[in-house]
Amino acid sequence: MNGPVRPYVITGGRSRPSRNVQALEDLALESLVSVDPAAEPGEFLDEQAGLNREHRRILALCRQLLSVAEVAAHLGLPLGVVKVLVGDLWDLGAVQVLPPAVPPVRQAERLPATLLEEVLVGLRQLR
Amino acid sequence: MASANSAEPDYLPSTVQGAVKILVTGPFGVGKTTLVGSLSEISPLRTEETMTAAGADVDDLTGRPGKTTTTVALDFGRITLNPRLALYLFGTPGQQRFWPLWEDLSRGALGAIALVDARRIEESFDVLGQLEEQRIPFAVAVNTFPDTPSYPEDELRSALDLLPEVPILACDARDRRGAYDVLIDFVDHLHATAVLEPQP
Repeated sequence: MNGPVRPYVITGGRSRPSRNVQALEDLALESLVSVDPAAEPGEFLDEQAGLNREHRRILALCRQLLSVAEVAAHLGLPLGVVKVLVGDLWDLGAVQVLPPAVPPVRQAERLPATLLEEVLVGLRQLR
Repeated sequence: MASANSAEPDYLPSTVQGAVKILVTGPFGVGKTTLVGSLSEISPLRTEETMTAAGADVDDLTGRPGKTTTTVALDFGRITLNPRLALYLFGTPGQQRFWPLWEDLSRGALGAIALVDARRIEESFDVLGQLEEQRIPFAVAVNTFPDTPSYPEDELRSALDLLPEVPILACDARDRRGAYDVLIDFVDHLHATAVLEPQP
């Protein structure tokens, strides 16, 4: 990261995504983000949309699928900041977000066996 | 926008519908990033999170609110498992001061691989205790450095005070094939556990 980062300046003083509590839960490191193909190109880039430079960088980067963590790494921004900004863009309908394949539960016993099978098959093929 | 020097991001195929994650944790210098790098299809990426921690573990006699801001670096990698599903591997620092971040990181994680250096197992006690405390399903993977003494599994299990159901695996974190075997054995273990759990 270059120089001191001032997260609250970039996000306009917010430390939580603007959407709602559910969206905050949904935005995990492994949530996948891409520009909404249905959105009009350039629609969100004009001044009136109120997007700052970092919002625009996310839109430029996410022309295809990347995780929230990858967006943060490529742009050199802290994860918390990227969650807030992606939340803004999601609110505007500028990006679409695919939630994690595992709901944000912490009990291992709730992991679906079919999903674990899919992971296993994939890993064995790649080994 | 992007200059000629900046690397083009490795995008996921557009067919991917979602992702899962597994944490790779352990004490400083145990080889977390090496293991992530051996498994990842992309060059490992680094991101940072700023963490504001209440100074519960800091004795502050001045009466000031004990808040400290720490920056945590997370190295992570990615495996596209099939056209629909991707797996992210997050190297997660094991030091106690980073534990506040674990709750967020472990939410929705399949589990964690705890890397252990058999030459200094005592450095792993805290991490293993915290994994148990947080009820994060995990396996121990001994990173076999060239001069790693080889211990019988029961000796290691006893030294690490591990429950019988926690798998003890071993690999050279630099070796892709061995790293894959550890990952596969761990997910296999999760799968067996998931199947055996009675449905609520």
